[in-house]
Amino acid sequence: MNCKIGIPRALYYFHFFPLWETFLAELGFEPVVSPPTNQDILQRGLSTCVESACLPLKAFVGHATFLVEQGLDLLFVPQVISVFRKEYTCPYLLGLPDLVRSYLPATVRLFSPVLDARRGKGQPTFSYLRFGLQFKPPLQAFKAWRRAKAVQDELEKAQQNTNSLPGGLNILLLGPRYLTDDAYLNGNLLRKLEELGTGVITAAAYPDAITWPAARFLAKPPYWTSTRRAVGALEQAINRIDGVLSIAPFGCGAHAMQGVLVGSRISGSKAAHLQIYLDEHTSPVGLVTRLEAFCDLLERKMSG
Amino acid sequence: MKVTFPHLGNAYIAIEALLRGLGHEPIAPPPTTRHTLELGSLHSPGELCLPFKIVLGNMLEGLELGADSVLMIGGWGPCRLGYYGEIQRILLEALGKRVEFITLEVPRGSYATYFQRFRKLAAARSAKALLHGARLSWAKLTALEGLEELALKARPREQISGAASRYLQEQLARLREAETVHEVQQIVEEAEVGFRAIMGPERAHLLRVGLLGEIYTVVESFANLGVEERLGELGVEVVRTISLREWVENHIFRKALGLYSLRPLRRLASGYLSGFIGGHGLESVARSVALARQNLDGIVHILPLSCMPEIVARGILPRLSKDEQIPILSLVVDEHMGESGFQTRLEAFVDLLQRRVDALGKQRSACLSGN
Repeated sequence: MNCKIGIPRALYYFHFFPLWETFLAELGFEPVVSPPTNQDILQRGLSTCVESACLPLKAFVGHATFLVEQGLDLLFVPQVISVFRKEYTCPYLLGLPDLVRSYLPATVRLFSPVLDARRGKGQPTFSYLRFGLQFKPPLQAFKAWRRAKAVQDELEKAQQNTNSLPGGLNILLLGPRYLTDDAYLNGNLLRKLEELGTGVITAAAYPDAITWPAARFLAKPPYWTSTRRAVGALEQAINRIDGVLSIAPFGCGAHAMQGVLVGSRISGSKAAHLQIYLDEHTSPVGLVTRLEAFCDLLERKMSG
Repeated sequence: MKVTFPHLGNAYIAIEALLRGLGHEPIAPPPTTRHTLELGSLHSPGELCLPFKIVLGNMLEGLELGADSVLMIGGWGPCRLGYYGEIQRILLEALGKRVEFITLEVPRGSYATYFQRFRKLAAARSAKALLHGARLSWAKLTALEGLEELALKARPREQISGAASRYLQEQLARLREAETVHEVQQIVEEAEVGFRAIMGPERAHLLRVGLLGEIYTVVESFANLGVEERLGELGVEVVRTISLREWVENHIFRKALGLYSLRPLRRLASGYLSGFIGGHGLESVARSVALARQNLDGIVHILPLSCMPEIVARGILPRLSKDEQIPILSLVVDEHMGESGFQTRLEAFVDLLQRRVDALGKQRSACLSGN
């Protein structure tokens, strides 16, 4: 058995790609990942997906339809309900397989294991294993999962590097991974920050073991994982940074609240906060102007 | 304590009774107006949804009337509503208001915290007074929803335009003053007769339209620009699928006891949506299927701009509409809505439904004459 399975390069792919790719390959599939988002792919999403959806979701639909047009009739679209205890990802992700389903021809099959870590890490593991058992005998499925998990852990550990802040301006970049890691959607923001000579640290640099307790200073810690990670990372990094840059898709409800939480935390400290909302109409030029102005502001603040 | 609370349709009648029973002085904010919304929008992050802004406006207006605490509901996701109270607390604090927030939610942790919160809320009154308050409040909630349902039936059949809505307002005002459960029951019984008097003779075919969507925008008539009245005046009987009473039963009592099950909804929605997506998203999809199977003529789906669960539902509804053969109108509401555009869309939808019914009727009679 060596059939191709498509993985859209969008949303939680950016969190779990080592695990998903390795796992599917170990199970005997040939994983085909869609290319990095480009105008053609995004355009597909914009013209199909329900109009009030957020940019990354539209991009996801674009990636999925792109893969289907390449002749793939199997897609891996897990339903990522939760990645951490007692927390949710986002309502869009809860309904993702059903939403994507309604935009694809009926001949396409979606594989959608339910990943729901609300009651602990056991459920996703179990869910992956059950998925694997459809294709391989128990021992092989278990080995496949363990190998995939090892690859995933290795990558996560490599990302958790908080010492990489050089001198000069240091910025904490907050935002969902599927925006910060998708250079097309965020208008190549990281490169631009680099060109401006700022040191960037993202929430991904802090593991849950740090951000979860760090977010406890709030009377009611947020129940969306990405918001909790952002608030926790801010709490950890607040003394080492000069500014906070939040990027979010336009219309993202969790981020509007994150803005309030971040704003109330840094009020009184020396850090400044810039919120950028991205949608399909965002121009890269305007983005550069705003980043430059923000860096100018930070520099002026620093020099007193 | 002087407690204020956000408006949610006519629920203030029941909330007042509850707070009185608990030994507090309820301070109902003035009816929601454009000013409320502007006040709320001024102090909210722009990206938050319409309900957040109206609710914050209500709180601010309530505090202006001298309230010192705010009653709000909370939750633990994934819908944003659960976190609104917390954000509103932070925003009000930043505005320099000294407010105590009483959040009604299933607490994280033990039942002891549940009990502690309840103790804090129940301001040293006798058990008898508490019980009376709770019973009265429940009776009023049931009654006010009963009255509203009667008005939904009466509006398309009324002889004098606007009579049903006026009568409803009168009865609600009486209900607000009622002090015993017996009085409440009497009001409902009288209203049944009263509404019947308003209605004219039965029409041949009355269009019936289901109303569903995000609970706040469906229940709060300011947020949906009075969609129930508008449809009623266009001669359409509105079938409600959302009831506050049911919401309280399911989400406060049953959930706390672990008795709430989504299975019936999931069964209805199967093939379209596999499970809970937060808010009323699953309900919207499941109830659309149910309404289609009850042979309703159409569905109006209301959602606030950027409401994530309802956007997922909205993405799925077109397919459902095709498969189940029922026209669905999705209306997105936010603070920039214009009344006339809204009215035009409703009128166009009702025209479409009427034409569809006529065409189907002709088809049917053609079949019969062909026999």
